Amino acid sequence: MNQLKSIFIAVAMTGASFSAAAVAQDDSATLTLSFTGIAEQEGAVMGVLVDSEDAYNDKAAPLRMIMIKADKAEIATQLAGLKPGRYAIKSFHDIDGDGQMGTNPYGMPTEPFAFSNNAVGNMGPAKWAEAAFEIKAGDNAHSIEIK
Amino acid sequence: MTNLDRRQFLGTSLIIGAAVITPDMALAGASPAGWALGVADVEADVPQEALTLVQGKVPVGLSTTLFRNGPAKFRRGDSASGHWFDGDGLVRRWRVEGGKATLAARFVDTPKRRLEAKLNAMVQPGFGSPRRNGAVINGPDDTNAANTSVMVAGGQLYALWEGGSATMLDAATLATQGPKTFRRDLKQMPFSAHPHVDRDGTVWNFGGNGQNTYVWKLNPDGSLAKAEMIALDRNSYFHDFTTTARHLIFVLQPWVQEEFKFPLSTGMSWKPELGTQVLVVDKDDFSKRRVFELPAFSFFHLAAGWEESDGTIRFDGCLEANPTFGQKSASALLRGQHIKAPTPMLTQIVLRPDGKAEMQTTRVAAEFPASDQRMAGLARRFTTHVTGYRNTPFPHAIAKWDWQKGRDDKHDFGDDHLVEEFLFVANGAGERDGWLIGTTLNLKAQKTELHLLNAAKLSDGPVATWQASLPLPLGFHGTIG
Repeated sequence: MNQLKSIFIAVAMTGASFSAAAVAQDDSATLTLSFTGIAEQEGAVMGVLVDSEDAYNDKAAPLRMIMIKADKAEIATQLAGLKPGRYAIKSFHDIDGDGQMGTNPYGMPTEPFAFSNNAVGNMGPAKWAEAAFEIKAGDNAHSIEIK
Repeated sequence: MTNLDRRQFLGTSLIIGAAVITPDMALAGASPAGWALGVADVEADVPQEALTLVQGKVPVGLSTTLFRNGPAKFRRGDSASGHWFDGDGLVRRWRVEGGKATLAARFVDTPKRRLEAKLNAMVQPGFGSPRRNGAVINGPDDTNAANTSVMVAGGQLYALWEGGSATMLDAATLATQGPKTFRRDLKQMPFSAHPHVDRDGTVWNFGGNGQNTYVWKLNPDGSLAKAEMIALDRNSYFHDFTTTARHLIFVLQPWVQEEFKFPLSTGMSWKPELGTQVLVVDKDDFSKRRVFELPAFSFFHLAAGWEESDGTIRFDGCLEANPTFGQKSASALLRGQHIKAPTPMLTQIVLRPDGKAEMQTTRVAAEFPASDQRMAGLARRFTTHVTGYRNTPFPHAIAKWDWQKGRDDKHDFGDDHLVEEFLFVANGAGERDGWLIGTTLNLKAQKTELHLLNAAKLSDGPVATWQASLPLPLGFHGTIG
């Protein structure tokens, strides 16, 4: 049964993922990112914005770190200075505020998590191809239900 | 159903059966013919109905509720579950009150059932079912069939499975309330279908098997008292465990998990050369443990255990020579095939203080062992069990084994009845002072029946028998609510 840990989903988002510094951007695309369906209104929604499949799969540093106080059922933040292109988001709701996605003794996630496009994983995190979305020049909006 | 699915489905049957199976034959269980009615599909919830008293007299003042669970939906579109253990759980509430009896039944509303209804296909993997196109698995509860047993703890009704969370149900409406998380960090931890309850109401259970199992202790009010991982000595698969007043007992059969894959049972191997081990763990200190060695046997169910003054431990179980039933026969049932498997035999296991262990068989075929819950942890005289295995894969009789006299008190319902688990309802201080309540599927009438027998004399036959308006497939386990 403890093999479930390696077989079922393990959204790898350790504290290390968040050490990557934001890279300065020239371009002016803006993303209004919202999270809905927050059942337990405490802690924060943590996430990473990535701009490549490698970064999505933890083989390269993420572009931005996201941290939004989870004090309402629906929360949002603005990410400015983005280049138009393909992006994806991996997120989890850090209810207990320990900075890590909680897992049960068999390694299953115990805190809500979600991917952009509300892409659903299957025996592992959602794939880049399903989670990637387009950010165009100007204002963009993306909403993720986190449960 | 895709061709791939059909090939997979037939592939399994071709391996285990010599006969040439056509797709139509492979789904013969879908049509209510003979014993296959016991594994037929139920299409809709059953609103509460009054049962018809067809025989006998209802004892005055009897008021009891029997909750039962069992798989009742195995087929969607052209696809089918690969195993009896993998159908959707249908919780049934049988109630006797004021001289009348009622039935209500409702499917547990699981992510598995919702997904499969939407796809009109059985896609989620299980004990003997493959993972098919369209399957979505992000954790154990995505495959939770909630189909094995029920528990009432702290006034809350639960549907139980063995690989995921207990599912909370509203006892009044049988509506699904969702998976139970006993503590936030224990979300989706498996809570098996065989909790054992101390006389004070303390609940012991395990979750998961492999190199470790997770031990649950609930207070009589249903709240979490203790939860801890314990190491096992081998990657044994087990469906049940047992307890004494002071110990938890894990029987580690040599049906071992060698890899994790779907269907789960295909990752398990029968290795009789390893023998069977019995791990005894102190309830108050999980680090205090002893291991006993026995010859190889397989099993699903154990009855309550006890300690004697010199430290000898006794418990009984329904032991099989090998796991053919779980490996092959229980899959073949859904295709209308009866593959003979070793008959489970009621056997007492004795663990001596000097470290020696022995098995004392009754030579009586038995499954679904049950006993007077008030005797939990105490030396007891009787074990109730189904028996009468003949021409069908299912039992035809109910019996009560007397360990003191070494004999069965039995009632055979006849070839037309497939007999399910019966439970004891006390009406006095003694182990025989009360009734056995349980159900049979009447193949001739094509209806499920509720029976009440005098626990002191089963051979007299039912004191009262009620008939439902419809047949329900055979269930697994129940509880008195």
